[in-house]
Amino acid sequence: MIAASEPRQRPLDARLLVLDRKGKIVHLPRADLVDFLEPSDLVIANDAATLPASFAGFHEPTGARIEVRLAGRRSLANDDVTRFTAVVFGAGDFHTRTEDRPLPPRLVAGDRLVLGPLIATVEATLEHPRLVALCFAGSPDAIWEGLARHGRPVQYAHVPTPLALGDVWTPIAAGPVAFEPPSAGFVLDWRNLAAMRARGIEFATITHAAGLSSTGDAELDARLPFDEPYAIPQATLAAIRRAKRQRRRIVAIGTTVVRALEHAALRHGSVRAGNGIATQRIGPRTRLRVVDAIVSGAHEPGSSHHELLRAFLDDRTLRRVTDALIAHGYRTHEFGDSVLIARQAANTARHRSNSRIALATPLHV
Amino acid sequence: MNNGKSIASHDLLRGLRVAITGGTSGLGLALVREMASRRAHVAFVARNRERVTAVALESPGTHGIVGDVSRKEEIHPIAMQILGRLGGIDVLVNSASSLGPTPLALLGDTECEDFELALATNVLGPFRLTKALLGALTASAREGRAAVVLNVSSDAAISAYPGWGAYGTSKAALHHMSRIWHEELANEGVRFLSADPGDMDTPLHTLAVPDADPVTLKRPAVAATEFADLIAAAIARPTATDALSAHATLARNVEAGTT
Repeated sequence: MIAASEPRQRPLDARLLVLDRKGKIVHLPRADLVDFLEPSDLVIANDAATLPASFAGFHEPTGARIEVRLAGRRSLANDDVTRFTAVVFGAGDFHTRTEDRPLPPRLVAGDRLVLGPLIATVEATLEHPRLVALCFAGSPDAIWEGLARHGRPVQYAHVPTPLALGDVWTPIAAGPVAFEPPSAGFVLDWRNLAAMRARGIEFATITHAAGLSSTGDAELDARLPFDEPYAIPQATLAAIRRAKRQRRRIVAIGTTVVRALEHAALRHGSVRAGNGIATQRIGPRTRLRVVDAIVSGAHEPGSSHHELLRAFLDDRTLRRVTDALIAHGYRTHEFGDSVLIARQAANTARHRSNSRIALATPLHV
Repeated sequence: MNNGKSIASHDLLRGLRVAITGGTSGLGLALVREMASRRAHVAFVARNRERVTAVALESPGTHGIVGDVSRKEEIHPIAMQILGRLGGIDVLVNSASSLGPTPLALLGDTECEDFELALATNVLGPFRLTKALLGALTASAREGRAAVVLNVSSDAAISAYPGWGAYGTSKAALHHMSRIWHEELANEGVRFLSADPGDMDTPLHTLAVPDADPVTLKRPAVAATEFADLIAAAIARPTATDALSAHATLARNVEAGTT
């Protein structure tokens, strides 16, 4: 697949691969997405706005240049902005592929990092020379201002021009809690949302602090995704319960929505409203309790996003999808093309026979 | 303030997350004080750091944000700080305004750059900030909270006053934009208000009409009370479609109060 290198959220030529429940593949202009949803669908998106989570600065003890990428936080609370986990790179910026970035100087607890107007202290290293727990000095107001003024959106070498914050906020972006954009949401615009409403398709949101998609370090990448806090509003829970009761499909816009909803349903078998921290990985052995279909990017095999699709499809079907994406020149990464994948009938039947929780079990008839 | 209606509308704003631009001067400053006194959670935006710090100190619990809404590159950092500090937004008041040329000038004498400044501050700024906050406003509406945008208009948006060309044109555009936003977002549950506070004793008015007798002008605190009541009335109304029809009447009422 080709990397999408232009930071345009909704290019006119964006494409959509649709895999229906019976395994049939169709290629469409992505602008037609709403036509390929079902009138009874409940569409759920992640409304997280994206923090400018990349900070250029230096390691005070050595004076060495570094880049800090914020990667995690323990909650979504707006005044809880003192402590983050972060990935630290040596000198350089996004123009260099993350795989080729040098290590930072050796970081030890107590080291101060000077990041523009922000001062962060390393509280601990987290079993990897690049991964640290950070503590920012100052009041929440001062930290928010420092983040807003000095931070840049996290970006990768496949997009050569510097991104502005507006480039990575989806049209529905609300609370600034994500570290990278929940980019499946780039498909949404207000015209689409109005078209959904006109077709009777219900729309709801969750907030999920999407984390880094890559660090360039194989050992760290194997630990992705990190723990991600999320919040499910009461209104969204009510919509999910209605949809389940009426046996309507739930369509997740993006992998973060799948992760949040499925995590929220893990303990009780059905979704609960409120705050949680998604810690699970989703893959071939995951039994999906909530989500029936997903809109996602055209992800390359090996990524955690691609792995997540294995919960929806058997490997042979996923291979067919991947082959079709390659054969048709789909663009990958956050500004790339999209897929709409319905959980396969075979998978559903297996899931259904295994499940005793009627409310949480979607039925495709 | 002593009648039952005002007390009820006081309560309607309690706990709401309110952002106000132009919050260190004139009507914007009066609105920061009024909203804070009604126990709203307030974030305000203004360009001058010293004044932002002073206003935040004077109204404890409010969050001051240094930023210039006329500059495109500052909009998302401003929006992010509003959302970060308030944890979302229920009410946005676009109050920051520029006269364009000062002293006021006939259109034929107006420099393009001064005209552009009026448009950037009074039209593009509110457009961009509203757009950046739209996701949060609609999220608020979906969760059953309020979602209101109040754009500060002027009688110069309607009447053609010689000498007020840049300002009047920009305010006319803002007023019309408010009406279109309202039509487009009624189904999303976001209500738009456009209202004229009347001629007030503010630094902006002094710039425009230096020899005006302050006694003939409305105090900004009075206009702020009226605007807070206007927002409370919009919130009390059950549906956005109702707010649409109410919009003109309420705006007229505010204007009527000034004459």
